[in-house]
Amino acid sequence: MIGPLIQSGFIPQAWDNIIAVFLGAAFGFALESSGFSSSRKIIGTFFGYDFVVVKVFFTAAITASIGLLYLDYLGLVNFSLLYIQPTFMTSAIVGGIIMGIGFSMGGFCPGTSLCAAAIGRIDGMVFFGGMFIGVFLFSESFPFWEKMYYSGSQGPKMINDALGISAQLFTLFLVIVAVGMFYGAAWVQRKVKKVEY
Amino acid sequence: MQRKYTILSILLVVLALGLVILPKKTNKTETDPKVLLSALAEKSRFLTTDLVSKRIIENDPTLLLIDLRPADQFKAFALPGAINIQPESILSDSNSELLKQLGKDIVLYANSDLASEKAWLLCARYVNYSRLYIMKGGLNEWYNTIVMGTDVAATASSAEFDLVNFRKAARQYFTGAGQTTEKTATEKTPVKITVVRKAPKSSSGGGC
Repeated sequence: MIGPLIQSGFIPQAWDNIIAVFLGAAFGFALESSGFSSSRKIIGTFFGYDFVVVKVFFTAAITASIGLLYLDYLGLVNFSLLYIQPTFMTSAIVGGIIMGIGFSMGGFCPGTSLCAAAIGRIDGMVFFGGMFIGVFLFSESFPFWEKMYYSGSQGPKMINDALGISAQLFTLFLVIVAVGMFYGAAWVQRKVKKVEY
Repeated sequence: MQRKYTILSILLVVLALGLVILPKKTNKTETDPKVLLSALAEKSRFLTTDLVSKRIIENDPTLLLIDLRPADQFKAFALPGAINIQPESILSDSNSELLKQLGKDIVLYANSDLASEKAWLLCARYVNYSRLYIMKGGLNEWYNTIVMGTDVAATASSAEFDLVNFRKAARQYFTGAGQTTEKTATEKTPVKITVVRKAPKSSSGGGC
């Protein structure tokens, strides 16, 4: 059992932030190389001419879940030590709506806006500035939101537990849905008029 | 281009199918024998009956007593707040949920040390709880020290006197007894006071 590397003491806790910087840089590199720094490419999902965002995120999710489950099976990663984000239902819904509106309006999500800003795109910089103002306003008015922010708490919740099936079976369903979605997206993309950007 | 994606899709589905088909793995990880041996040599897993009693009396919220005796004995008598778990089922899922609570000192006890030592070893070998203890001597020792009480020599140190006094108080707490059986000041045989008068000093009358 060697993973998670930091929790199981394989790598000292002090490396946490240093590793985070390297992982962040690698993530940014992957985003940029898959074309995510272009808001036109990202917004293509909503108009049906480019589904790369959905494809990339679904591929990441299924690859990671299959990999993690195999590593857990082989005894290389202790599944129970992994950090699972606690679920806050109300704030997740409200935040999701705000994020969705910002996403479809600006054509960036927080990570890709930084990517775009880093390669010198002005829309990315403006988006990042707006995000910063939003974060600042939210922090300043936090007491006003606090009650809503913490409501609907359900702890670290797993979707397969909620459905009452094993993680492996859920992953299989997810993979089937993802593959179906890839082909569906390709079909839609053929039907929609191609956009040059 | 399309063929590459088809192969990738099939690969993902097959991998996910493999996860479902694979036999359930037994989730038993064993502690390294070296670690286990050194843990066995370490005596800090033993708590005295006095310490456990003290923590019961103080309503210590971090204390979780596990009674390993058969259920009928547990019904007849158990330490306050104890939970009855049979030693053979100590590794079961529901019991592990109970025992792995953070911030709890799990104290095992049975009639003697035998059952608690076995249960402790099982846990140390397969689960490795960080705060698992044994009440040294079990309920027999607890009965001997707390309920029966011990006497102390008049020349004993003040620490020993404190201990005996604590046990008396604990006995009163656990059994309600002691109030009537204990010798109170009035019951003590009165000390006969014999007044020895000094012989009057010879007067220093007369001239010097």
